[in-house]
Amino acid sequence: MMHYKWPLLAAGLLLFALLPWGLGAYHQHILIVSLFYVMMAASWNLLAGYTGQVSFGHAAFAGIGAYASGILAAKAGINPWLGVAAGTLLAALFGLLVGMICLKLGGIYLSLTTLAFSEILHIVINNEYEITRGTMGLQVPGLLNTYSKPGYFYIFLAATLLTLGIVYRLIHSNAGLNFRAVLNDERAAAALGVDVVRVRVLAFTVSSALAGMAGALYGHYLLLITPHIPSLDQQFLVLSMTVIGGLGSFAGPIIGAFSLEILSEYIRAYGEYHVLAFGLVALIVARFAPKGLVGIFRAVWEKRRQAALRPLQPAGRRAGEV
Amino acid sequence: MALLQGRGLSKRFGGVQALEDVDLTVEAGSIVGLIGPNGAGKTTLFNILAGAFPPSAGEVLFNGEAITGMPAYRVCRKGIARTFQVTRPFGEMTCLENVAVAVVNRRQACPRSQWEALARESLAAVGLEAFEETAAKHLNVVQKKRLEIARSLATEPRLLMLDEVLGGLNTQEIQEAIGFIRRLRDERDLTVFWIEHVMGAIMQATEKVIVLDQGRVLMEGPPAAVVADERVIHAYLGE
Repeated sequence: MMHYKWPLLAAGLLLFALLPWGLGAYHQHILIVSLFYVMMAASWNLLAGYTGQVSFGHAAFAGIGAYASGILAAKAGINPWLGVAAGTLLAALFGLLVGMICLKLGGIYLSLTTLAFSEILHIVINNEYEITRGTMGLQVPGLLNTYSKPGYFYIFLAATLLTLGIVYRLIHSNAGLNFRAVLNDERAAAALGVDVVRVRVLAFTVSSALAGMAGALYGHYLLLITPHIPSLDQQFLVLSMTVIGGLGSFAGPIIGAFSLEILSEYIRAYGEYHVLAFGLVALIVARFAPKGLVGIFRAVWEKRRQAALRPLQPAGRRAGEV
Repeated sequence: MALLQGRGLSKRFGGVQALEDVDLTVEAGSIVGLIGPNGAGKTTLFNILAGAFPPSAGEVLFNGEAITGMPAYRVCRKGIARTFQVTRPFGEMTCLENVAVAVVNRRQACPRSQWEALARESLAAVGLEAFEETAAKHLNVVQKKRLEIARSLATEPRLLMLDEVLGGLNTQEIQEAIGFIRRLRDERDLTVFWIEHVMGAIMQATEKVIVLDQGRVLMEGPPAAVVADERVIHAYLGE
């Protein structure tokens, strides 16, 4: 199975990359929005799933990226691509600052501080009408000279692969060992030489930067930036996607983002209750299947594999089992 | 030569005086025991020495350098490793990864091939080589204590502080453990500071014993003298 993993992934990716050519504009739009949520959920998972720091400011950091890039492009006439880079950097900087202030406290304090940060940002954006145009929304230029949905699809696909690549590299590096050690037991980690605050700040900064990039790209895709991007609605949608997909697993946020975004398009007709519904489902999943859809798939897969192997194995405990 | 020194260490938790004016010296290369009845302040003293929290007063010197109030991760990097009385494994990580955390923070820019080898070596030293890929939460209590020691050794310490590692072992296993700790000291040039309730082990393994009672040093001396001392007997058995 391991042998086929990479070729299979490459083939799947190639098929996925061909998708826009078989779909209409509406479905292309859903794909692009799904990719935005994959970036958001994967970067939030880096923080919440791998270091156990629950931030409610992730949508706010996307908002910082979107507004920084949008304002630079719309008001100062700066190239939107440079704007995206600037938005990413600014989100990283804010992440570093907020992280340095409140990550010494950890746990619930990070959640509360980021919740407050998120609300403050929301209020500022709503009220600084001159700069942000408040709830009217800020019109911003696009990333492409001629608007093309497949064009945006490939931009978002590349950005998503970059995001996933960064997350994958991090969690499989020595820093990833530290992330998981901090998640499992902070005091034991510190006693073994792990600088817990630094590990958390690193995860928080990278996670914020990735949210900033996703937000900036999203703004230049929508062409109209509203305070909905940095809203708690978005925050809880991203949280639900990650938890339902599988907190702390690499594939979880990808599966969660696609399934919930596609699902929410189908139930949109029933009004804007989908965030509420997803929140409830996320609660139930967190209680009864803490490893999410990925955990459920894995358990089923493992059971079937065990069943297939059973006749070949002598009775008794497997080697390595205690 | 004194490797670890505490001078006038006190710790107050609200209205409770957990430690009061504790002076202690652990000589380089020795095995020093720390005993005392329950609630005497032994683990509190360990926590202060290892940087888990700062003392209310007093200072800690390691190799002549003041490390008072230094955070735990820096104390660890200075060369002090400690085990926890109630073991604290990274439950969701494999035993090999548990030890690897210690390795990668000791050695900067340590690639996987290198940390795997070093982590294997530490696990083998405590006899857990068969459990490299087992999640730490699946170990039994005694194996978890061994894992604590393996992780501590992987930080390449000069001073190893053991907090009741013999609990749950039978007589023969205790003998093996004592031999193991003495060998560690001799082969790795370690100094050992050891909290233990198993008096037989303290008698056999240590060169000096410090007795804590109600947050103060009751006495210190060679193990034979300590167990014969009336004050110590009273502290344990009452008047």
